[in-house]
Amino acid sequence: MHELSLALEVCRLAESYVEPARLGALRTVTIEIGTDSNVEVENFRFCLEALLSAPPFGGARPSLIQTPGTDLRIAWLEVDDDSPPN
Amino acid sequence: MTVRRIDVRERVMARNDEIAADVRRRLAEADVPALNLVSSPGSGKTTLLERTLDALGDELSISIVTGDVQTQNDADRLAARTSRLVQAVVTGGACHLDALQVQHSLDAIDLADTRLLFIENVGNLVCPAAWDLGEAAKVVVFSVTEGEDKPLKYPRMFREARYAVLTKLDLLPYVPFDLDLAVACAREVNPELRFFYTSAISGEGMEEWFTFLRHFARQDVPVGR
Repeated sequence: MHELSLALEVCRLAESYVEPARLGALRTVTIEIGTDSNVEVENFRFCLEALLSAPPFGGARPSLIQTPGTDLRIAWLEVDDDSPPN
Repeated sequence: MTVRRIDVRERVMARNDEIAADVRRRLAEADVPALNLVSSPGSGKTTLLERTLDALGDELSISIVTGDVQTQNDADRLAARTSRLVQAVVTGGACHLDALQVQHSLDAIDLADTRLLFIENVGNLVCPAAWDLGEAAKVVVFSVTEGEDKPLKYPRMFREARYAVLTKLDLLPYVPFDLDLAVACAREVNPELRFFYTSAISGEGMEEWFTFLRHFARQDVPVGR
């Protein structure tokens, strides 16, 4: 449940950075995961993949990078600008 | 394929932390310090709060927010000990309280008639460590029926806490628990941790805990060992 609520917050943040018509063209969500952030990485990946495969998203891939410390942070998003709008 | 990169660099917990800052501001304006009680399930948080309400509920005008995954059992137990509101939060499966739940709870609590707020978190030594609720301090409750190495297994919780209450000391003759080792493990991850050694059943150490709470409610000198 913890990882699912964090994954939902990742999706909410992604929706605030990408135009609604381009969410289906979101290809990668790169996230830095602190080693002391209390996030179980594979569980988190599973939750992200499930959420990012459903509309308004179109199958974006979570890219998870382990970092020192406690922070869990979205580093950057990658959008395919050649793909048709939603 | 033309890939556009959008730099975000935003913490996933940022929204929770903004709400926690609002909770902290509201509590500061009302001059109400809050303690967030965290622990594994069954460590004795509710029993500690029952005895605390019996001794200080009226004197310190204590209000309580209590979180559980299911049932209002803890809230019902505590409500029987006080005339003030005990705000129950049933998380419906979530493994921790979040700042939004506490913010909503404050709407129901008469802060003008409160001098000390307890937040009894969901029993879980992992997730609640990561969620700021706007409290003044976290108190980790740690019973002698657990392993002495809990602080090493769950370091973030013991690192985030400012105070530790060791509970169920009346059971020490019956369990193979090395008190000194447990304290050493906790101090290894957090040398600043201040301890209280208690039994809510026998009353051992409870006066020191109550003295601390009186000081804490006045927001003056720290107490504990």
